[in-house]
Amino acid sequence: MKLSDIAQVIRSKNAGPRRLTLDLMFASDADYRRVVQSPALTTERIGSLYGLPAHDVTVIPYPVGRAIKIVLARPIMAGDPGDRDVYGAQQHAPLLGIEI
Amino acid sequence: MSASGRILDEIRRTRRPMRFLGASGQLGYGIPTPAFNAGLARKPDLIGCDMGSIDIGPTYLGKGEMATAPAATRRDLRKALLGARSIDVPLVIGSAGSAGAAPHLDATLAIIREIARTEGLHFRLGVLRADLSRDMLRASVRAGAVKGIDDMLALTEEEVNEAAHIVGQMGMGPFRRALSEDIDVLIAGRACDTAIFASLPTMLGFPTGLSVHMAKIIECASLCCLPGGRDSILATLDEEQRRATPVSVAAHSLYEQADPYTVYEPEGRLDLSAADYAAVDDRRCRVTGAMWHDSTDPCVKIEGARKLGERAVLLAGAADPRFIAQHREILPAVATVVRDLVCEDAPEDYTLRFRVYGVDGVRMAAPPNEPPPGEVFVMGECIAPTAERAAEVVRTLKQYLLHHGYAGRLSTAGNLAFPFTPPEVSLGPAYRFNVYHLLRTPDPDGLFPLEVETL
Repeated sequence: MKLSDIAQVIRSKNAGPRRLTLDLMFASDADYRRVVQSPALTTERIGSLYGLPAHDVTVIPYPVGRAIKIVLARPIMAGDPGDRDVYGAQQHAPLLGIEI
Repeated sequence: MSASGRILDEIRRTRRPMRFLGASGQLGYGIPTPAFNAGLARKPDLIGCDMGSIDIGPTYLGKGEMATAPAATRRDLRKALLGARSIDVPLVIGSAGSAGAAPHLDATLAIIREIARTEGLHFRLGVLRADLSRDMLRASVRAGAVKGIDDMLALTEEEVNEAAHIVGQMGMGPFRRALSEDIDVLIAGRACDTAIFASLPTMLGFPTGLSVHMAKIIECASLCCLPGGRDSILATLDEEQRRATPVSVAAHSLYEQADPYTVYEPEGRLDLSAADYAAVDDRRCRVTGAMWHDSTDPCVKIEGARKLGERAVLLAGAADPRFIAQHREILPAVATVVRDLVCEDAPEDYTLRFRVYGVDGVRMAAPPNEPPPGEVFVMGECIAPTAERAAEVVRTLKQYLLHHGYAGRLSTAGNLAFPFTPPEVSLGPAYRFNVYHLLRTPDPDGLFPLEVETL
């Protein structure tokens, strides 16, 4: 099953101009557990989708919000020349197709 | 007595719970009237609005301009001001004018004064400024008291000199000082969004952890609800159409934060690791367990933007599959042709970049083996020392990209589709954040002077 078939929310945004934060939110505890226990969300795997080394990726489970947070170091600071997404609101797309 | 004095007196006397109306998470984009009026009818003790963010990028801070339209900004400020005065409670606005530096704050104050004049309102106005002294910053850089945030390069005196504006994010201290001066309306420059709501209850002995957590939840108005929205939100009673459920409220701690369990503020750190969210009923949520740890080493987040030059862009589409297939060779080849022409009698004093929408204009890395799109949108972006130079580069680019001959070209009349002409647009000055640092200072509140005037 693809992540986009199981998550209720998959979103991205800046957390300050040097970090991107991606939130995966789930409708039920069962869905949350299924994804959080899945081996699909490794820092290596996520990094490869963004062209980033694994050490620029952090994955934080947040059970009280039935959510998983992913934090990426931005290769280009928000608003610097060459940036593609000043707010960082469209960087979730590479996650949608992850197989869980 | 003015509104802040009245509320402080009343709560000290009665020790009753307080209510906070988060009118807008981004003032200037419209405050939906029904929810705002429903909130007013429940007699909140304070109305708060956040007006800015660093998310909008460096240009507004650098240029000293608001992100919101003047008419919409005035409409929202009028609604919030009339609402607060009608029930005589403090109106607190943070990060005035999008970026909270002097030109943003002064433009906001000009609108406030004009509304007061037009509506015949009289009140005590408190103003907190957020601009930081260059002398103090240079001395702090020399003393090693400035540290980059998230691997930002070390700050130098040269960057301090070159920034168009540098602001500090004020915390609760300056707001408390202002609210203790018996004011009705408080307009602050760049500020932590939590300080808008948490300053008043913490003056009255409410726990700091809970107060800051409440502020964090309502600072984006009803974005913490289901469905998320821009309606106003009341922190103790929310009987709007939206539902604040335990999961929707807990999940808001994720929003625009790298760490859902910790929120750093100038005075300390909000610790949500033991926070608990319980449904009161179908549409209300009780939040407990937030802890607060005072900082022993107070720091203020500082932000600055430096001008890079003048920006101009070329906007064009293409639908020829051969052009699309070869664009990675065509674009640099045309950039070289342009350089040879515009640098014949001038230095190479500009940068030229492309985004190819449909391919990798948005994503940081396109997946391998993705089939080519049927059409693409090409944006050429030039940043040059002057607007004339940037316009010269993108106009030359237009002509030579339009007529560039590439291998196998069939469409010899032109490579580009222009949605309108001129397809070259001058966008004004371009900025980058050159200050995004923490300033260690023994007296963070002292950086933000208070002015009080009576209108």
